[in-house]
Amino acid sequence: MQGAILSGDDLSKIISTLVLIVVAVGASAILWIGVNLLFNQVRTSWTRFNALAGYAVGFLLLLLLQGNRLLKPHGPDADSITRLGELLWTPLLGALIFSALAVILANNDDQAQRLWITSGSGLLLGGFIGIRLAEDARPELEILPLLLSTIVIAALSAGVALLRSRNPVPAALIGAALGWLIGGFGVPELGDGSAVESAIAAAVPGLAFGARIGLSKNADVAGRARIDAKSRGAIFLVPALFFVTVSLIAPTLTTIWLSLKDEDSVDFVWFENYGSVFTDVNSFDVGDWTNIFTSLLFILGVLIGLGGLAIGLVLRKRTGDGFSAGGPAFAPLMIAMVMIVFGVLSVLRGTIMNNLWWVFTVTVFSTGLGLAIAVLADRAKLESVAKSIIFMPMAISLVGASIIWRLVYVARDTSKSQTGLMNAVWVELGRWSTGSGIPTVLGTVLVWVLVALGVASISRSLTSRAYDKVPLRALATIVLLWIAYRFTFDGIGGFRTNSAGETVSDTIFFVQDQPFNNVWLMVILIWIQTGFAMVIMSAAIKAVPTELIEAAKVDGATESQVFWRVTLPQIRTTIGVVVTTLIVLVMKVYDIVKVVTNGNFGSQVLANDMFEEAFLFSNTGVGAALAVILFVSVLPVMVLNIRRMQREA
Amino acid sequence: MKSRFLKLLALLFAFTLIAAACGDDDGESTTGDDAADAADDGGDMADDGDMADDGDMADGGDDMADGDVSITVTGPERDESEAGAIQEVLGAWGDENGIEVTYLGSADWEAEINVQVEGGNPPDISIFPQPGKLADFARAGHVVPLNDEAAAATAANWSEAWTVFGNVDGVQYGVPVKADLKSLVWYQPARFAANGYEVPETFDEFTALVDQIAADGNRPLCVGIESGQATGWPFTDWVEDMLLRQHGPDVYDQWVAHEIPFNDERIVSTMQAVLDLWTEDNVFASSGSIAATAFQDNGQPLVDGDCFMHRQASFFSAFMPEGTAFGDGEGEVNVFYFPDINGDRPVLGAGTLAAAFNDNDATMALLAYLSTPDYAEARQIAQATRKGGGATLSGFLSAAQGQDPSVYQPLEQSFLNVLETAAIVRFDASDLMPPDVGAGTFWTEGTSAVNGDITAQEAADRIEASWP
Repeated sequence: MQGAILSGDDLSKIISTLVLIVVAVGASAILWIGVNLLFNQVRTSWTRFNALAGYAVGFLLLLLLQGNRLLKPHGPDADSITRLGELLWTPLLGALIFSALAVILANNDDQAQRLWITSGSGLLLGGFIGIRLAEDARPELEILPLLLSTIVIAALSAGVALLRSRNPVPAALIGAALGWLIGGFGVPELGDGSAVESAIAAAVPGLAFGARIGLSKNADVAGRARIDAKSRGAIFLVPALFFVTVSLIAPTLTTIWLSLKDEDSVDFVWFENYGSVFTDVNSFDVGDWTNIFTSLLFILGVLIGLGGLAIGLVLRKRTGDGFSAGGPAFAPLMIAMVMIVFGVLSVLRGTIMNNLWWVFTVTVFSTGLGLAIAVLADRAKLESVAKSIIFMPMAISLVGASIIWRLVYVARDTSKSQTGLMNAVWVELGRWSTGSGIPTVLGTVLVWVLVALGVASISRSLTSRAYDKVPLRALATIVLLWIAYRFTFDGIGGFRTNSAGETVSDTIFFVQDQPFNNVWLMVILIWIQTGFAMVIMSAAIKAVPTELIEAAKVDGATESQVFWRVTLPQIRTTIGVVVTTLIVLVMKVYDIVKVVTNGNFGSQVLANDMFEEAFLFSNTGVGAALAVILFVSVLPVMVLNIRRMQREA
Repeated sequence: MKSRFLKLLALLFAFTLIAAACGDDDGESTTGDDAADAADDGGDMADDGDMADDGDMADGGDDMADGDVSITVTGPERDESEAGAIQEVLGAWGDENGIEVTYLGSADWEAEINVQVEGGNPPDISIFPQPGKLADFARAGHVVPLNDEAAAATAANWSEAWTVFGNVDGVQYGVPVKADLKSLVWYQPARFAANGYEVPETFDEFTALVDQIAADGNRPLCVGIESGQATGWPFTDWVEDMLLRQHGPDVYDQWVAHEIPFNDERIVSTMQAVLDLWTEDNVFASSGSIAATAFQDNGQPLVDGDCFMHRQASFFSAFMPEGTAFGDGEGEVNVFYFPDINGDRPVLGAGTLAAAFNDNDATMALLAYLSTPDYAEARQIAQATRKGGGATLSGFLSAAQGQDPSVYQPLEQSFLNVLETAAIVRFDASDLMPPDVGAGTFWTEGTSAVNGDITAQEAADRIEASWP
């Protein structure tokens, strides 16, 4: 908004951010080194380790309570120094008590005494903390949930311990402590209870925790060595686990929780939100499913597929190999699959179907084109230049690419000249094919030359007995023939005949015309992701041992046989990685739809719908339900990917 | 061994200090609140409001530090001329009162305000383009009512017809800060005269004129409803304006309050009437189709003569090509009143309302200022200057009472005149409806209907189904 790029205000914000980063990194490093040094003490000086560890645990526990204002009192008008002192003295005192206890335990090997000491001090400390709890944190005891959760969790813990053939008593104690805490503090409203109630709620878990610690033996030399060794892994793992929990697992669980509640996240509605997603015609509309069978794409796809099937069956009878990749039946079957899927998904509408369509189209075409380019560019002249150009769109942000393509797709009123590339070409094509000038004549000659070339290529493969190439070439020639026929007689391209019988230009609304506007949006992502697929697969192709390829060539394999029978099986795992990565990425597609159509014209996708529901219309429940649907549909692919990664590792 | 022990000791201290620093944060923010409270108390603003109440709000979002009071205002107006003018005027007020006022305009205001509020980090004041949204927030307890001072200022400076939109269940939450007049048709008088067309006085004359221009081989109307996130709103405006004309203000009010369903046959027939008017022969859409044409792209074709009329609000002057003069001369652009059917001259208006998220004295004082004619005049002058001064229109309009009319151009004065004298003024219905409809399905399903994907009946049924 202001003219200057950086104002003084911005600069001070940047500096404070940098300082914060340095402090955070430094603090983390100090903490990490400190914990390592602490555990270095385990072998050499057990007592000191216990003293320090007790100090740290006590300090942190009480600081957590005090810092969150769960302990009283907070004087209302203290200055900052007094408040800081008040904040710190309880934790420091607690730290000293814990430290002292730990030292006593470290030097006492008598099991009975240990149990008495820990249980007693656990009870006392818990009770003391309970009494000192701030009034608005005191729970009102509800006996039934309290006992229920204590018994259930303790029993569960003991059961798990038994299953793992361990002693169930310590586990039951921990479970009882957690259960009592949950039942005592988690279930009831906080702030209604008395000091006695809160003391009971806190003392019992203290007793249970204490008893659990008392049951353990004072570690001998071997035990200490084990603690020392095990601690190092934990020191690395715990911070990562903490952040994964806070930033990934907790939000996931919260989202699932929210998806079961109403729009204000107050009342439970169970699966109503999911139901509303599937009953809303905008997200799931399969009412017109019978139209599938009258859709031209579907019918053509089935016909081509049947043709491919016939070729494959005949070949299998003759040569025993009908449906192999790269064989004569392969191309028709692939084309048929794409056409049938397009035919089905252009009839079944809604957000969910759109997402499926996106996933199918972008994944298939990006992988296919990427593979084709990687193979064709391999060892060709100017390979690196070609690959750089294909890869370039990867560097453009999705939003930027969407804006570029929106300009490519734009249509203008037909009385004006077209500024969008696609419509300019389309309208010009219409002019040529319906006009009578030199371009029309040249165009007519050109299309028929192309048809002739197609026919020639078929006859060439027939005479050279390369029958496997015939189906694809025939298909291409038929398409060319149709274009040539239209160009010469009816005309092809952006024109229409108006009511007065004149021929006027006509545009395509790439972004508005349903349902194929979706495909034009997908083109944007394919344009971007082809580069990604190409780079990965190009690397994989280069990694195929040359001996293998040379051996195949020596045995008389043609280039295409080398690719389909040698290279492709070698890079199968890479293709799998590319496909799964793309599926996950496409599932989350958001930016393109947001920028180009904003979900209008039947192009809504799950991610944009989720954003709108949750943040524009404040329907947190439905938004969360959509997020969960998205999450669940990505999950199998992720599991597959991770399992493969583990297998390979 | 000894040095190692010292190291450990040092670490322990470092550890304690870090913990203390983390805790300190807590302490500081508490002190910050104290300072803010102190500043409030010490400041000249009279009210000794209940500070215990404001504690929670202040915790969340305010930027008060070091005793300086600062106020953040957010809103959807982000254009340089608009946002710059707001910042200039509010900044000047802040300088006078020792308060730092920052205005942040955002294209994604609708989404951002939700996130900020739900995240417990709202601005001090936000400018709402939709009273429906304001009412939602008021009922959820997110925005606070005006204090007596601000409420009195609002009541004194704005007529009841406007303040009512900031009134939720009898409590005044919002301060009107801007007014728009929507029942206008932009045209070029000279081009009308050259073709022998006359400004229509009745709706029948209007449709006859549309037919005549189309019969002459020209396109009568420019229409475009694309507007990013808000695509579809010009369609809702047309429907509202037409409904007001066809069925009168009572039906309109029932429709807004959802006393009659959205798919009532009267509403559907009005939607159909708009769609019937927008035929291919009647409409010039610069991007080929109405749904694809950005609403702000309609200024150029109007000036170029690709179309003859464009029904759009008073603020559309801001979207006329640069250097467009307003008047009756050659190449100049003027407006006429979108003709009525029953002779009751209803007017569709809209506007923005400011509301606060805390009841600090400074915040309330700023709200009181926003309601004054002083603010309206200062903003008008600042915005007109930014637009280039001279005879250009600023795009801003305020219905605050007691403004000096000379700060407005003649055309703008005529807008004000219409707003002040009209017997029937109705606020933009989509802005009054719940956001799910008014900023949701009414836009999206309307866009689908305009695009020909669904019928008016289907669109109305779906909108009705989405009413919360």
